[in-house]
Amino acid sequence: MINRINQLPTLRVDPANKVIFDYKGKDYVGVEGDTVATALYHNGVRIFGRSLKYHRPRGLYSLDGECSNTCMEIDGIPNVRTENTLVKQGMRVKEQNVKGSAENDMMGFIDKLDWMMPAGFYYKTMHKPASIWPIAMKQIRKAAGLGVLSPDFEMPGKFDQIFPSADVVVIGGGPAGMNAALAAADKGLRVIIMESRPWLGGFFDYRTFDYKDAQYKNSKPLYSRARELASKVESHANIRVFKHTSVVGTYTNNLVTGFQIGTENDKFNERYIEIRAKSVVVAAGCIERPLLFENNERPGVMQVACVHRLARTYGLLAGEKAIFSVGHDLGLEAAVDLFDLGMKILCVADVREDGQNPYLMIELAKRNIPYLKGWVASKAHGSKRVNKVTMTTLDGTISRDFECDLVIASAGLTPINGHLTLAHAKLRYDSHTNFFVADTMPEKTHAAGRMLGLEDSLSIEVSGKLAGLNAALDCKLMPQSYGNTEIDALKSEIDSFTAQSKELPGPARGSKFVTAPVKGRKSFICFDEDTTIKNIKQAIDMGFDVPELIKRFTSAGTGPGQGGIPGHNLPLYVAKYTAASSKCFSSSGSSSIQSLGATPKPTNVRPPLVPTLIATYAGSKHIMMKRTPMDEMQRADGGVFRKIGVWERARYFSDDFSCRKEIENVRNNVGMLDGSTLGKFRIHGPDALKVLQRVYVSDMSKVKTGRVKYSAMCNDDGCVIDDGVVVKLAENDYYFTTSTARAGATIEWLRYHTRFDGWDFYVVNLTDSMGVINLSGPNARKVLQKVVSQDNGASGEDASNKASIQDVSNEAFPFSGYKEFMIKNTIPVKAMRLGFVGELSYELHVPSSYMVSLWNIVKEAGKEFNIQNFGVEAQNVLRMEKCHIILGQESEQRTNLLDLGLGFLWDRSKKDAKTIGAVALRQAENDPTRFRLVGFEMENNGRAARDGALIVDDKVRGYVCTARDSFSLNKAVGMALVESHLAKVGTRIQIFEDECGGERIYGTVVPMPFYDPDGKRMKS
Amino acid sequence: MVEIKRYSPVAFKASPKRTEVRDNWTVVLEYDGEGQAAFGQSNVNENYLVDLSHITRLDVQSSNLDAITPFGITIPQGLCESYLQDGVLINRMNRIQASVFCLSGKRPEMPTESSYTETTEVGMCMAIIGKDVFSITEKLTSLDFMDYAKTTPFLYQAPMSHIPCQIITLSRDGAKSGIIFTASRGYGKDMVHAIMDAGAEFGLKPAGEDKVKSWLNTL
Amino acid sequence: MSLTITCPICGKRDGYEFRFGGEDKGPRPDEDGLTPQSWCEYVHLNECVAGRQKEWWVHKDGCGSWFTIHRDSVMNVEVATPEAHK
Repeated sequence: MINRINQLPTLRVDPANKVIFDYKGKDYVGVEGDTVATALYHNGVRIFGRSLKYHRPRGLYSLDGECSNTCMEIDGIPNVRTENTLVKQGMRVKEQNVKGSAENDMMGFIDKLDWMMPAGFYYKTMHKPASIWPIAMKQIRKAAGLGVLSPDFEMPGKFDQIFPSADVVVIGGGPAGMNAALAAADKGLRVIIMESRPWLGGFFDYRTFDYKDAQYKNSKPLYSRARELASKVESHANIRVFKHTSVVGTYTNNLVTGFQIGTENDKFNERYIEIRAKSVVVAAGCIERPLLFENNERPGVMQVACVHRLARTYGLLAGEKAIFSVGHDLGLEAAVDLFDLGMKILCVADVREDGQNPYLMIELAKRNIPYLKGWVASKAHGSKRVNKVTMTTLDGTISRDFECDLVIASAGLTPINGHLTLAHAKLRYDSHTNFFVADTMPEKTHAAGRMLGLEDSLSIEVSGKLAGLNAALDCKLMPQSYGNTEIDALKSEIDSFTAQSKELPGPARGSKFVTAPVKGRKSFICFDEDTTIKNIKQAIDMGFDVPELIKRFTSAGTGPGQGGIPGHNLPLYVAKYTAASSKCFSSSGSSSIQSLGATPKPTNVRPPLVPTLIATYAGSKHIMMKRTPMDEMQRADGGVFRKIGVWERARYFSDDFSCRKEIENVRNNVGMLDGSTLGKFRIHGPDALKVLQRVYVSDMSKVKTGRVKYSAMCNDDGCVIDDGVVVKLAENDYYFTTSTARAGATIEWLRYHTRFDGWDFYVVNLTDSMGVINLSGPNARKVLQKVVSQDNGASGEDASNKASIQDVSNEAFPFSGYKEFMIKNTIPVKAMRLGFVGELSYELHVPSSYMVSLWNIVKEAGKEFNIQNFGVEAQNVLRMEKCHIILGQESEQRTNLLDLGLGFLWDRSKKDAKTIGAVALRQAENDPTRFRLVGFEMENNGRAARDGALIVDDKVRGYVCTARDSFSLNKAVGMALVESHLAKVGTRIQIFEDECGGERIYGTVVPMPFYDPDGKRMKS
Repeated sequence: MVEIKRYSPVAFKASPKRTEVRDNWTVVLEYDGEGQAAFGQSNVNENYLVDLSHITRLDVQSSNLDAITPFGITIPQGLCESYLQDGVLINRMNRIQASVFCLSGKRPEMPTESSYTETTEVGMCMAIIGKDVFSITEKLTSLDFMDYAKTTPFLYQAPMSHIPCQIITLSRDGAKSGIIFTASRGYGKDMVHAIMDAGAEFGLKPAGEDKVKSWLNTL
Repeated sequence: MSLTITCPICGKRDGYEFRFGGEDKGPRPDEDGLTPQSWCEYVHLNECVAGRQKEWWVHKDGCGSWFTIHRDSVMNVEVATPEAHK
């Protein structure tokens, strides 16, 4: 436990409010505002976990979650970034990837075996003999990998999503971002600012003075400037602030995605945010470039801002005796400030030869802090945490050891470019800033602040303001926006700020790429994946020369932090090493990359830029399914529902999934099925018939009033996409049905295939508007008779007319007939006499809101005939016995009309080119290579083959579409699509099922249909 | 004897306080716990979800829509514009098509021309009203209801909670804000669930038809 | 996900409200002189331009219109105003 400095004005914690949490079964005390990592650090935890491959001890390093060093298991969720997660009362925290504990990990010995694991070793070893691999894989998986998740883990917490509208999105809530937000918002635009920390302020937030400012301690401290800006931003009516929100994706057309971590007042743990902005400002700032030296990730080695923020933001001094090895003025500033806060600073080594801020040099001298120019840390000592560091001159000639508990190491800064590159910005290495900078920016995207290389506070603020104004201009130049005068005023304002910014200091010279003069066996370029400098050299020596490929081969930068740690160093190291390998390369020294003639190529980052829970992407997870009007009642009747396409449908009405009772009741008495999911449409208008002629294969001019016509739609390959019936309501006014699956795409299909014709027609999708009762079975007519006797007819109709309406005899309402009823003078019913299940059958189409009432009327009328529900599976068996097809079961995307034996639907007198599918059908007509749909029965009273089983001989010859044990026929029958030479009745077919172990089953091709081949039951 | 009733695709977990049978629909005028029945009085901070699935809706299509005046009202010329007059809301869907909502709740004398198709049964119809309407909708759709290029009332034909809807923004004026939308009837149950879930943090409550009537009077 | 498409009726919307309808190849060929070859080319042969391409889209989750846009198939962005069809 270390003491907290409680009185700093920069603190973001409230030391008065304690938070008790559990770490490995013991109570620990943090304070409000602490992250899990800072709370643990406060309690003396230094080793947070063990590394992926070598099980090396790892601790705090950057404090912004750029690597997996401090990932832990929290409340059962593995790989939580503890540096970014606020500690909460009762949280349960555990270390991960350890056998034993992080402090004493029994797998720690692996660190000594690194010689066995050169770059890419897993591509090359343990593959021969092949039998070794499964065993090796198990062992590797035990030892490597971060975090453990059981397959049945259920994510606790509430997740949500939000799609806020904004004109300008600002990524980054630092000084540049806040200025950008204010500038755009002041122009009346709606601005969203997204900041990954729980507060606005960026790198001003923890700093008490500006190192560029001679007046240290008398000038306005940066943190108060940050808070001043923050309060302006947060109170601005046009600005919406999303704090604790990481941007994880940026895409073309200014799409920005991120996730926000909820506070205690929020109703979510995390929520996904997606914004389509008109313009984007990226002011993401910089991170530090890790310094490469031996054991550069040993607990006790930290970056400058990590130590500085630990002190200033959290009130924690990271160590007692510190060594600085830095390459940037921010390091010198931190040394001065931390000295004043009571840290003992043994020396500050600086890799830069010149360019230091003179004021900081004076402040260091005033405090008698030894300053070593041209020196660098070359090795950290201490088996579990730093106890000593070797400092070396850059040329490696002089070394000195310092005993210390803290090494503050940073090679310089590097911009966070991911938000630009994801949106397709191209990066170029800039030899002045030593940054990768964007060469071409994505459209309507503006960068600002430190990522441009600016260091001067005022320059940063003005660059933000300019970006905000440019974003405002983007918005105002869009159509339907503001007048020209305003645009001109805005343009001149931009010009004046551009002029002003030219007076201010521009991008600063950045420190060069430096590596300590060591071999690099334990110099880690990527912490997440345990990749060392030595591994990179091995990869290059094997012939890899492109950083993106070296990244794959060595896995550097493929961990959770992506480019956070290796993003800058890897391409630079590769450039330097490859360029110099022919020129007597020494891995140390600060000779510039360009002088070696190399061009560093950055590696790619991908979304999510920051590790994100899949649960956050899933959000509130509403499942949107359609329900028929009968949904509740069928559930009450014992319906077993399944998700079928977009619908929830009653598939069975008992636990017997063979549906024997349902089937037998339809065959012997009468059943009713909810067919509401059928597609239903009205098409009208002067050219309605032309449209039907175009999309249906039949001659639709032959649709007669009072009759239904069954037909099919094909695509341009002649393959069947839909079948259904058409009813003529009036001249150029039709009602037609489609299959359930096709309903959603039907209007689109009609409009697509007539898009060049300019026809005048109107389609209305009535699918959900009409419920459908399928009343089937030998007693169906008796039931219908009872129902329609309640048809009072339209008022004023005479008795004879009424009698003819109520006549449902086979003569008055024959097969393929169509009638309209008005049940109880109230419920309008469209009735069709069809026979899908092979029995006397009626389809009653009724307005959805009335469906429950009509269903009850039918059910009551059918009671004396033992009417029962039947479900989709029973219907499937019934129609299969009759060899009526279901598209998608008896067909797939290559199956054409002729293959299915439905060629009789095709009217050959219609013009081929104007009937969709006709040209292809003509071509396919004599094609012997096509499949044929055949019926078959199983041999020797065998069980039905499974749907989808293959028909084989020495080759695959087809497949089983649907096959069932038929109770109506007392044998197993089915339909299959087979090569034409197997289609002859009497042919024996071999059936191969999954996991049959080579044991085939056999069937014989038989005539179709199996049930009631003359159609007497259906038609009489 | 079977009772003839019409059922809405939408059901709320709330008990009706006052109902009225109209054209075989049981229309809920007010639910328990709604507070003041009229909108915009004591309840300025409240948000309501109201089922309007029973109101008569029509689809009208013609290559010459200008010549058609549903219930004597001219169809708006501009694409995706809406027009509210005498309780009739007309929405221009595209060059040849408009939708008509009879918000008064009474079944009107139906026009007999073939260009009309009654679509009451095609969809659910609901209103979300109150000051946080757009905080609720932004959890369900990325549509920009505050787009300054649009003036109320206007029509969006777009998905909400992944389901294609017609959404008419009638007001975005603070506590008077409100939208009316339709979507396929089959999604009624899941849509109510999604909206109530999104609205939970804003205290979204089911309300009866009277709430919408009194809200329309404030516009 | 980032693609936006400008519907002539509804304006600029998220790409996933739309369905792709193929390259613009003009109307169906006439009956006269139709050969299996020419038909097959009309249905199946595509230019597959890497760059700016005129293509059909339908606003399936919106107004239902079919229309053409020009899209840069490399960057997957719309590049010009649409030509409206009803």
